[in-house]
Amino acid sequence: MSVKVQPDIDFIKEMKEAGGDTLKKCFQCATCSVVCPLSSDQKPFPRQQMIFAQWGLKDRLLGDPNVLLCHQCGDCTAYCPRGARPGDVMGAIRAYAYRHYGWPSFLANLASKSQNLPILFGIPAAIICIMWLIAGGSHNIPNAKDFVDFGYSHFFGHWDFKFLTRNVLFIDLIMIPTASLSVFAVFKGVTGLWKKMTENAGIGAALYRPSPLQFVKEFLWPSVQEIVRHDRFKKCEANKDRVAGHQPLMWAFIGLFFVTGYSFISQDFIGILLPSLHGPMSMLNPVKIIANIAAIAMIYGVGVLWSNRSEMEESGQATSTFYDWFLIWMIMGVGVTGMGSELMRLIGIPSLGYVVYYLHLVSVMMLFLYMPYTKFAHLVYRTLAMTFERYRESAYVKNPLMG
Amino acid sequence: MSKVYGAYLCTGCGIGNVLDADGLKDAASETGIKMQEHDCLCGAEGLALINKDIAEKGVNTLVICACSPRVMQDVFSFGENTITIRGNLREQVAWAAGDAEKGDEFIQELGEDYVRMAVTRAQKSELPKPYLLENISKKILVMGGGIAGLTAATEAAKAGYEVTLVEKTAKLGGKALGWRKMFPTAYPYCQLEQPNIEQLVAAATSNSKITIKTETEVARIGGAPGAFKVSFKVAGSKSEWDAPAKVAVDEQEKIDKGEKEDPNAGLQVYTAVDPAADIYGAVVLATGWRPADVSEYEHLGYGKVKNVVTNAEFEKIAKTGKVPAKVAFIQSPGGKDHDRDFPYCNSVTSMVALKQAQYVCDDNENGQAYILYQHIRTPGNTELFYKGMQQRDGVFMTKAAVTKIEEGGAGLKVTAENTLLGDTLELEVDMVVLAAGMVPTTADAPTVNLAYRQGPAFLDLNLFDGYADSHFICFPYETRRTGVYTCGGVRKAETMEETIDDATGAALKAIQCIESANRGVAVHPRSGDMTFPDFFFQRCTQCKRCTEECPFGAIDDDAKGTPLPNPTRCRRCGTCMGACPERIIGFADYNIDMIGSMVKSINVPDDDEDKLRIAVFVCENDAYPALDMAGMRRNKLNTLVRFIPVRCLGSVNMVWIKDAMSSGMDGVLLLGCRHGENYQCHFVKGSEIASKRMANIGETLGTLGLEPERCAAEQVAISDYDKIPGIIESFVESIKEMGPNPFKGF
Repeated sequence: MSVKVQPDIDFIKEMKEAGGDTLKKCFQCATCSVVCPLSSDQKPFPRQQMIFAQWGLKDRLLGDPNVLLCHQCGDCTAYCPRGARPGDVMGAIRAYAYRHYGWPSFLANLASKSQNLPILFGIPAAIICIMWLIAGGSHNIPNAKDFVDFGYSHFFGHWDFKFLTRNVLFIDLIMIPTASLSVFAVFKGVTGLWKKMTENAGIGAALYRPSPLQFVKEFLWPSVQEIVRHDRFKKCEANKDRVAGHQPLMWAFIGLFFVTGYSFISQDFIGILLPSLHGPMSMLNPVKIIANIAAIAMIYGVGVLWSNRSEMEESGQATSTFYDWFLIWMIMGVGVTGMGSELMRLIGIPSLGYVVYYLHLVSVMMLFLYMPYTKFAHLVYRTLAMTFERYRESAYVKNPLMG
Repeated sequence: MSKVYGAYLCTGCGIGNVLDADGLKDAASETGIKMQEHDCLCGAEGLALINKDIAEKGVNTLVICACSPRVMQDVFSFGENTITIRGNLREQVAWAAGDAEKGDEFIQELGEDYVRMAVTRAQKSELPKPYLLENISKKILVMGGGIAGLTAATEAAKAGYEVTLVEKTAKLGGKALGWRKMFPTAYPYCQLEQPNIEQLVAAATSNSKITIKTETEVARIGGAPGAFKVSFKVAGSKSEWDAPAKVAVDEQEKIDKGEKEDPNAGLQVYTAVDPAADIYGAVVLATGWRPADVSEYEHLGYGKVKNVVTNAEFEKIAKTGKVPAKVAFIQSPGGKDHDRDFPYCNSVTSMVALKQAQYVCDDNENGQAYILYQHIRTPGNTELFYKGMQQRDGVFMTKAAVTKIEEGGAGLKVTAENTLLGDTLELEVDMVVLAAGMVPTTADAPTVNLAYRQGPAFLDLNLFDGYADSHFICFPYETRRTGVYTCGGVRKAETMEETIDDATGAALKAIQCIESANRGVAVHPRSGDMTFPDFFFQRCTQCKRCTEECPFGAIDDDAKGTPLPNPTRCRRCGTCMGACPERIIGFADYNIDMIGSMVKSINVPDDDEDKLRIAVFVCENDAYPALDMAGMRRNKLNTLVRFIPVRCLGSVNMVWIKDAMSSGMDGVLLLGCRHGENYQCHFVKGSEIASKRMANIGETLGTLGLEPERCAAEQVAISDYDKIPGIIESFVESIKEMGPNPFKGF
């Protein structure tokens, strides 16, 4: 394939600012590709991505699944003889890609810089605060007895219409639009990335397109299984401990996704028929048990990743970037405020409990809202890249008769 | 000098353990010299024994049979008026004896033969008298007024020598005048520097010891080190004193018959002496280089496609103005056929591309410099310059096979395959710069213009693409013309910094040569050797072999062909001595009679088929030390061979082979340096000439009914100490198979 070279010098400058300041040091010895446990002869990453970045070939990188397949273990950075830190450069490229595919772009740009942190926090904080004030504000703070009975289910006040509580309505008003925006943004991003990847891989109109079912069964589902097993993660050498953090964290998210889904259905749908489902769950309720285990796993997992990253940065194996830390902070925020508000409820301190719960709502909203643009986006983009990797090698793309 | 002999045997270092001292003493006595024994000759007591003899008996010719002549040279040195001959009983007998014990007759006979040979050598050696020129000039001629010439002139002047600097053009400074910037020379090696050529010119012009002749050329250089006779002329003009071209015998015949034009018509013959010539002691050749022609690479479009320029042309653009914003630098012309860089590039063109890439970035806000290479060569500290350039946003590098350059779009389109990006690249650029190499001036013309029998140019081995050669490993500044030292671009494509080092080295070499000539001693590799070839002209048949074969062009001749030796040009290898069929050439301490007598002093038993005798002539430069090293490592050497050190295999006269065979020896082996490509011969041609002569003598043996294989030549390197015993062993085995010399005993 022949490529017209149009280096984007601004892109190079941006890469350098976003943690890839060492990228020009690479002299293409390919030590990184050799030590990388995920790289293969056909996909010599990150060596090739390094020269693409050096040459400012933005288009190549934005549609390059290999950039997303990297698990950022740091093996390449540890062995690089020139200190070019390929791991950091790959991270910087991913950060750039998430921003590039992010919609709407002002939100994507906002979520990419540490100096925007007050706004990033301020938007959900203000929205929830305003909603809380609309809902009645300080009138809603319960006395100690009510706090034991109702927990946070009267955070936005209550009314006597028992089939859809006021609390559930307000939370829905906040979170459903947030989640919808996020889902739409992800959809935009995913389709954009898929288009770019097929374009760059030179895949024209496929002879036979897989049906959605085939697509899920043959490409998506095996990728998900692989992700759950952490197969690729486990190959990393320089930072073996990351699996110990990432795996519990992933299970925590799966658990909490289930719990949230259960709550959504039980509150918003079944609760309309069975009002008794409203209010705090018993601590012995299996769902509650799952929620508590998942919360602990989340704090533990993100804690491991936190300390890991600190160590890597101290030992010079990784560069400190907002992109990496923002996600860790958000998850830690969600976990700590969630557990905190539960503890406050059990201890019975309503005022402090309400403050912590408020922060919990803010951090959850941040996680939803910024998911498509921050490092959290790897959840979908890496899954998509792994799926694409399978698709690219399949008979749908490679004409089996032509070899 | 009337000789008073003293012979001494050391039995230390294990010699006494394998050899019977009395037998060795008897061997010396046979020749009329009494040998004394001591168990540690190099100790205070042993030396006192020798010194006592010198003081009391007036001993002036010493035979010391002990360790190798390569060791303890300062200990066994008894002043300039004594001759000291060493017999090697330690490294090549005692230490090479394996587990043989005292009483082993093979070992004993070996030791006795070495004693006989040492004594014979002492008897045939004379104290050398140095060759001294009547009038010696210590002035140095520097040809070329660029960085190299200016530096050489200034350095030689600083050392106190008068210098004449000759420059063809009207202005000093050479190519460096056209450079916009020069490479970094100091840590951190990232910033280009202002060229320092003006300071160099100022330093040379202000030095009262330096005479500068601009717009001047050297017509011819006759004479020899210490007394080169140099004729100057106005640059570009013709002169009757221009150096004549070499005319071979068959060409001369055609010229005489009028079938060919005489290239030397109107010129003085090479032996004529220009009365107006200036006299110089030595010459530094710093005539530099020219940019290579790159039009042969059609796919690169030079000369056809607009804005495809060479690096030299690009430098001119950069010197006078602003360079374009998008420039591709092509380092290797081979396309997909090969990955070689442009010829004559060395590491300089890589550095130039990096430098010029910086111009592109400096002159243009969004400058883009693409460096397409097969190799980036940035040796030593210049690696830091490479790293620095790599950091710049506007510099793009990839290994690539550039397959096409054509006009396209607004400028040029460069197609490059097999890139590190994994794809074929198409670059749109404003200009393409080809990394043309630096062709030495000696590739185009003789340049040095010597009035020598072997021609006006340096001899060319056709190994170094027109660069002057001497010995590429050991003597990088030398040429095969003693007293002429090259530096700068004429010697090697090199950077300004390297050139300055190089020129300093050449200036010091020139001084060394002058001072050696002044003392009547040889320059490398036999530095300090006071002997020189002496000709017995009454018997010369004017066969011209010596004049032809001398690797250093030391011997001119007159119209009849009688040799005219130039001892200060000579390196004392003895190739002339080896060549002479009349055996009229010899040195005070190394001649036909001496080695012949040594060969004949070897005792050849004619009644014992097990006791074969094989003479091995060993080159002193690499083979002999390798043999010593074999002994030091206690590698067993075959006891049937007798080693005879020679200055160079080129000095081996075939009469010695005949002497050996006619005295009943069973085979002759020559051990010398590698020749041909990757040659290691210290005298460049000696071992090659010797192997040709050996092939010829093999044929002669054949006519006598002897197997030609009884004479062989082997090439060894100094590091082959572990292989040498095996090489000798297999030669001895092949002789054993042939059986004893049938003429034994006649």
